[in-house]
Amino acid sequence: MMVHIKLLANYREHLPPGAKNGGVELDVPDGTTVREVISRFPIPLDDTSVIVLNGLTVDLDTPLTAGDIVSAFSAIAGG
Amino acid sequence: MYGWHLKLLRVNLTTQKVTREDVDPKIARDYLGGRGWAIHYLYKEMDPMTDPLTPENVMIFATGPLTATPAPTGNRYMVVTKSPLTGALAHSNSGGEFPTWMKRTGFDMFIFEGRSSEPVYLFVNENQIEFRSAAHVWGKDTHETTDILLAETSAEARVACIGPAGEKLALIAGIINDKHRAAARSGVGAVMGSKNLKAVVVMGNKNPPLYNPEEMKNISVDTSKNVGADVKKGSNMRIYGTSYVPQVTNTLGIFPTRNFQQGTFEHTDKIDGVALKEQYLIRHTACYRCPLACGRLTEVPDGDYKGKGEGPEYETISAFGGACGVSNLAALIKANYMCNELGMDTIGAGMTIAAAMEMYEKGYIPEEAIGMPLKFGDHDAMIEMVRKMAYREGFGDELAMGSYRLAEKYGHPEIAVTTRKQEFPGYDPRGAQGMGLLYATSNKGASHMEGDVAYEEVFGTPIKEDPFSIEGKPELVNHFQNSFALIDSAGLCVFVALRYVFSKDRMIFPLRLSEMMAYTTGEGYTAEEVLKAGERVYNLERMFVLKAGSTVDTLPPRMLNEPLPDGPAKGMVSQLDKMLPEYYKIRGWDEKGYPTKEKLEELGLPS
Repeated sequence: MMVHIKLLANYREHLPPGAKNGGVELDVPDGTTVREVISRFPIPLDDTSVIVLNGLTVDLDTPLTAGDIVSAFSAIAGG
Repeated sequence: MYGWHLKLLRVNLTTQKVTREDVDPKIARDYLGGRGWAIHYLYKEMDPMTDPLTPENVMIFATGPLTATPAPTGNRYMVVTKSPLTGALAHSNSGGEFPTWMKRTGFDMFIFEGRSSEPVYLFVNENQIEFRSAAHVWGKDTHETTDILLAETSAEARVACIGPAGEKLALIAGIINDKHRAAARSGVGAVMGSKNLKAVVVMGNKNPPLYNPEEMKNISVDTSKNVGADVKKGSNMRIYGTSYVPQVTNTLGIFPTRNFQQGTFEHTDKIDGVALKEQYLIRHTACYRCPLACGRLTEVPDGDYKGKGEGPEYETISAFGGACGVSNLAALIKANYMCNELGMDTIGAGMTIAAAMEMYEKGYIPEEAIGMPLKFGDHDAMIEMVRKMAYREGFGDELAMGSYRLAEKYGHPEIAVTTRKQEFPGYDPRGAQGMGLLYATSNKGASHMEGDVAYEEVFGTPIKEDPFSIEGKPELVNHFQNSFALIDSAGLCVFVALRYVFSKDRMIFPLRLSEMMAYTTGEGYTAEEVLKAGERVYNLERMFVLKAGSTVDTLPPRMLNEPLPDGPAKGMVSQLDKMLPEYYKIRGWDEKGYPTKEKLEELGLPS
């Protein structure tokens, strides 16, 4: 199934070549979780990382469904 | 005495006399400094029912004990006064260099009273204190004013001043220091203008000694190292400053779009930090003693919006970009430069234009009244409105009163997205429930800077909270409000404070901050004590606000009754009514939101 991964701001550099507007389409097996799909990218996940599914705060072990959008960003502050 | 000078300068603009006064050490300790000292004096000395634009209003500039110390970002000052926009309390905060230079005059705080008969500026160089004519800079913008006043005083001085908007008493006017930093909100620039005080120019070499310089140095170096480690990893705050945030709030569906009619903006990619960096960034800039350096020097090299300056920050992108439906990045950079130069709050200005755009499109304001079409997305019209607003020219005279008064005048107060008549910042509280409770209860009206629970709901700092949930939010808002009162009283910047001098639990705890306060002042502060002081400050402010007659904690009807139509938060409204009673209870306030006698006694406050 196809899902969309969007990496914001400084995480954009971890997208593969050819990614557009900070995002990429991926074909993943059924049952793939949020955590698993994000682990396909070399993002240095740490305590500043935030990962959301369709903009929602979810358990990272939530399985994906076709058309889902997974977004990730890093934040230490904001204004 | 350590950390504080325990000296205030009282400036009577009517008589052009100054007096030097000592600050009671117990007051100093209990109210910390900055925002805390300021509300203590304002509450004690002024009737909260005072008309904000009369000479009787008192305006206070206050530094904190950590201002001008080695503490990273220990370089903030507060402007505290009664707000002409909200009729409640104004407490606006700024960094840059002015705050440290102000404290080096040998005074922690300036209290301005009365009104000068002619435009003046105040020059304070330690004990050389002069009122000087400002006739030659009246009418000039903040950049020209700063350059002229530095040339005629000293290149070693620093300037905080108003622009034309403050002179003309625009209720969204701010005070600009070091050209690019703003104590922006709640109309503090109009209060300064009403006093005929164009500028305050400061310099000096007096720093209060630190109680334990060695430990203070160690903790400051260690804190800076932690900031540096994040910066080295490629922190968004260093690379993009707050301009990385539009993508975040848009992803969460809480990016104010077309005056909060939507929560996602289809052109966010065109106006975010990535676009800004690729097209207009020259280099990073930093406030004095800040290892984070989130500022950005930018330039639009040519075209209609040619200009050079700093920013824009997230809030400015939100107000002039999403809220006005504008996707032309150069135009919103220009709007930002104009606000800094003309002396206006970018949130108030942008959100007021957004409200006018909605009313124009709905036919509530006729084109003849505006003098031109004013549709969402029309960046040329937006820029023209910014200029007119500052000079109160034509329709700009009505815009200068802020969105609440504008919408009320045209018979549609429901269009104004404000609390206590102050415009919302860039987080739609329908999709960030804690933010809604914050805006409704904030002493200064809608503001993220009075307890920004977006840190947890949006940014996951220190930990991620579900923004849609109301569970535990009253406790979180209460705790963040007290913590922000503490940070603002100490003299630190929240950008660094929250992550680096608080603990990383959900209920942030100011352990490292209290150590810094203790090393600086010798007062042996514990984390519990400084947090309690934050609560004391917050409650005294609340008493001022209630006595000023601003007694209703609510949100505008759009937030309570109109579900968001799009994005992840689609279908949601604020559940304020479910959070407010619990919040009052946690606060120790009665069911109408008045601090109880017991709570006031517990905090050592007058009833």
